[in-house]
Amino acid sequence: MSLAEPAALPVAASAPRRLHIAGRFTARFKASLPAYLLLLPSLVFLALFTYGAMGRVIIDALYQRATPKAPLRFVGLDNIAAVLADSAFTGAVINNLIYAVGTAIPSIGLALLFALALARTNVVTSALRAALFLPVLIPMVAASALFLFIFLPNVGLLDYYIGRLLPVLPNWLGDPDIALYAIMIITIWKNAGYYMLFFLAGLQAVPEDVMEAAHLDGAGPFMRLRYIILPELKPTFLFVIVIATLNAVTQVDHVFVLTQGGPSNATNLVLFYIYQQAVEHFDVGKASAATLLTLAALMGLTALSFRTMANREGGP
Amino acid sequence: MLFSRRLMLGLAMAGSLASALTFPAVAGEGPTEIDLFFPVPVDGKLARDMGTLIKEFNDGHPDIKATAVYTGSYDDTLIKTRAAIKAGKPPAAVIMSANFLLDMQIENELTNLDPLIKADGSTKEQFLGQFFPALSGNAVINRSVYGIPFQNSTPLLYINADKAKEAGLDPSKPPQTWAELTDWAKKLTKRDGDKVTQWGIAIPCAYDYCGWMMETLTMSNGGRYYNEEFGGEVYYDTPSMLGALTWWNDLVSKHKVHPPGATPGPAVSTSFISGNAAMMMLSTGSLTYVRENAKFNYKVAFIPRNVRNAVPIGGASLIIPAGVEADKQKAAWTLIKWMTSPEKSAWWSRATGYFAPNMAAYKTPDMVDFLNKNPDAKIAVEQLDVAKPWFATYKTVPVRKNLEDEVMLVLNGKKQPKEALVAAQKAADETLKPYNAETSLKLP
Repeated sequence: MSLAEPAALPVAASAPRRLHIAGRFTARFKASLPAYLLLLPSLVFLALFTYGAMGRVIIDALYQRATPKAPLRFVGLDNIAAVLADSAFTGAVINNLIYAVGTAIPSIGLALLFALALARTNVVTSALRAALFLPVLIPMVAASALFLFIFLPNVGLLDYYIGRLLPVLPNWLGDPDIALYAIMIITIWKNAGYYMLFFLAGLQAVPEDVMEAAHLDGAGPFMRLRYIILPELKPTFLFVIVIATLNAVTQVDHVFVLTQGGPSNATNLVLFYIYQQAVEHFDVGKASAATLLTLAALMGLTALSFRTMANREGGP
Repeated sequence: MLFSRRLMLGLAMAGSLASALTFPAVAGEGPTEIDLFFPVPVDGKLARDMGTLIKEFNDGHPDIKATAVYTGSYDDTLIKTRAAIKAGKPPAAVIMSANFLLDMQIENELTNLDPLIKADGSTKEQFLGQFFPALSGNAVINRSVYGIPFQNSTPLLYINADKAKEAGLDPSKPPQTWAELTDWAKKLTKRDGDKVTQWGIAIPCAYDYCGWMMETLTMSNGGRYYNEEFGGEVYYDTPSMLGALTWWNDLVSKHKVHPPGATPGPAVSTSFISGNAAMMMLSTGSLTYVRENAKFNYKVAFIPRNVRNAVPIGGASLIIPAGVEADKQKAAWTLIKWMTSPEKSAWWSRATGYFAPNMAAYKTPDMVDFLNKNPDAKIAVEQLDVAKPWFATYKTVPVRKNLEDEVMLVLNGKKQPKEALVAAQKAADETLKPYNAETSLKLP
């Protein structure tokens, strides 16, 4: 659109009298045509693969079959009501909340710690940064396959070492009390290094002169962290929190590989629930309804965080 | 495996994904190109063996070009096949878990194979007569053939013979009843204070395997698990299943000879191979894996009985999905007949450990040799005399999961067997409701 603005203004200004609204519209459209043409290729693909699919989900969410052989019929919001009444869905939402909080806080905390420790660039910190970033480079499915061996009951790597200390060996992925936490450990291990990058970038933006002034005024390391570094990192925090929450909903590859949502739905997350409804129950209506609910929640969250960010930038 | 973002974009994406999986055939001249979807559900190097098999087929059939497409587990294969059918590009043939056939037939996703059998000048009886009778229950629906048995299995009891001898047990006389098995398991469990250093027995329980093991134990206890004649009923809250689950739970929490919690199949086989579990119940499909990896003498035996000797079959059949064009159908049929012929059937059985569904396979000279060298492979075939069909209902996977979730709670000590089975029955009845509304409860 910005391309079109300078061209549109002279057209409107040069008109001696008030043009007809229709005329003005065509003039504007003509002026911004090149912009639309430039956008066209990506618009086509967005329409095909994003908006089209979303539209289809909305339509699918409104239809349902009463019995296997019956035709699809319009049911309005019944699918959404059915999803909300399904205890497996509420269970998945609760699991997902625990999972989101339990992975976001530790991985962000670790990421900040790593970034603070490795803020200065030298040979040692570069090597350590690379080492901490390594898990990010491993695909989630491959990482899950590795952890399958680490978590193997009785004979796995973890039990091999921890087993010497504990009287009864935990069945990491087979016990509904532990399985979700085992899954969370993988996520934290994998994401902390990624978030560290954002904090490292954020730390570069902390003004050098302010830090120096604080140093001269006798502010210790903790004071500098509390009153200068953390406030300066606020936008980074907001951004990373949004990313971490989105990851908690959209990254479920390890659930597919390690537990399939089990045992007894203990590791069933919202996205996996949608997958189950769609491909195991073959219930497209319910799957689409659950997708819509998830999308709405994610969009609300993103809008809220962007508004918070915008407010902050607009304010004093 | 489908990935998260694709799902977020909705099911319309599943269609395009599936169409990306199946390559369109080149029209006109040249060989008929067909795809075969195949799963790898057990331990071992099945994917490589499948490549060898398909290459041999293509070399011998210049007018057909078959491509083997690996599609993950049994459950994943069903999902991918359904996505491909929905996208209008079904693969010409699929190796499909035998107990999904009924569900697919109810959803109109299968090609009836009767006309193809008739076109060959054969009758259904003659054609099915080639295969072990126990297999027809999962291949014939409403008296029409929908699947051709390809790789089949039964559950077996695997025993570490060295450990048995160490414990003063005679591995040539394996346990035949649950009482004897419990006794063996107790003697084979080693403890260091409270800590168990060697488990007497391990039985797998992850989605898919868990339901199959429950059917195994229930059948050995005189039960049926499901209604073989009608897809709308399961028998979860019954004495035979209560006995089966209570015994399994006793092995875990009362006798403490079985590792607690739900353990997936690969963890159980690794445990057995490493000597951490002295006995295990697992599919015959894992036999080759155990033979090649066990560094000790092992022995296989029938699943012990409490009431009667009975086991479900497992494994997969070859199917042709609905909506495959006539020329591809013909090519797929040629492939299916070739793959299930006695020689190929026998070769696949030796490569994988599955038993060969074609009875004539056991008359081929190579197979006679092989069985003489590996008498353990014979046990699986002998057990077929007492084998019964694998549970198959409307919505087989969710109905199975209704039971598995509850069994996992019991094995983790969170529920008592009786309340778990009542809950499982209630959940399964709910899942089966729409089908019953259309069949058994649709009254004039």
